[in-house]
Amino acid sequence: MKEPLPFDHRPDALLGESLRRALDPGDAAAFVARVLARAAEARIPSWDAVLARWARPGVAAAVLVALLAGYLVGRATAAPAPRPSVYDALLAPPAHPGEVEIVLASVIGN
Amino acid sequence: MADPQPPQQAARIAQQDEADLVVRAAAGDRSAFGVLVERYAGVARRVARAVLGNPEDADDAAQDAMLSALVKLDQYDPRRPFGPWLLRIVANAATDRRRRRTVRRVEPLDAALTAGGPRPDTTAERRALGERLRQALAELPERRRVAVVLFDVEGYSHAEIAAVLGIPEGTVRSEVFHARRRLRALLADWKEEA
Repeated sequence: MKEPLPFDHRPDALLGESLRRALDPGDAAAFVARVLARAAEARIPSWDAVLARWARPGVAAAVLVALLAGYLVGRATAAPAPRPSVYDALLAPPAHPGEVEIVLASVIGN
Repeated sequence: MADPQPPQQAARIAQQDEADLVVRAAAGDRSAFGVLVERYAGVARRVARAVLGNPEDADDAAQDAMLSALVKLDQYDPRRPFGPWLLRIVANAATDRRRRRTVRRVEPLDAALTAGGPRPDTTAERRALGERLRQALAELPERRRVAVVLFDVEGYSHAEIAAVLGIPEGTVRSEVFHARRRLRALLADWKEEA
């Protein structure tokens, strides 16, 4: 057995072979088959998995569509009446005469 | 299991560049992934066993690592060697499994080893030597175990082992040196006894 050197760059064949035998797991084919079977299972998604993957973007899209529709419907049904011009305000019969007089007095005062 | 391949086709696939195999495996080519698994199953299982000791746990860790690598194949840099990239995942998977393991299971010692009696044949001697080596490995720090297995068993360079373990090359040399000193002493004792 040779003395170990700190910077021995060559693998030790005897030690390597002994360790290989000691760590040999055996039955490589069964292990490979097991891994490939698991990989195949992982790559075939079930319907549940497909639905679950699409659930979050689906809910987000539905919320977005609902918000947009609500906004459009609300804008169409509750459109504000056109703002009366100063001319219309002055000529229209006053609902509350006292208020119109106050307004006119302040305008004349300016 | 991968689809059965004719021998010529299997040989042709085996000769292809690993980077090409990785690209094909990432694209869903099962035969390409199968070639990679076959090529690295041995080293992955040995490295995992060096970390965990127990062969069943080691196989589970190696399998988890292979499947994890399959998921992460798009992160692999094809300009770098595939082996160290995969073995880093294997070593991490084995270490994680060892940390999660609440009760340490120890394989029963071989009767020839514990009794110290006469060894019936060469097979029994080898088994007993294997037990002693595994015990000696288990006494080493984890990083040292992986380093010596990758260097002396698998033939990886110091630089590649440094990439696997995420440590400087000088530290790898030191780890290999100390592991060898311990294991060589054990082998020398064994030869004298024999």
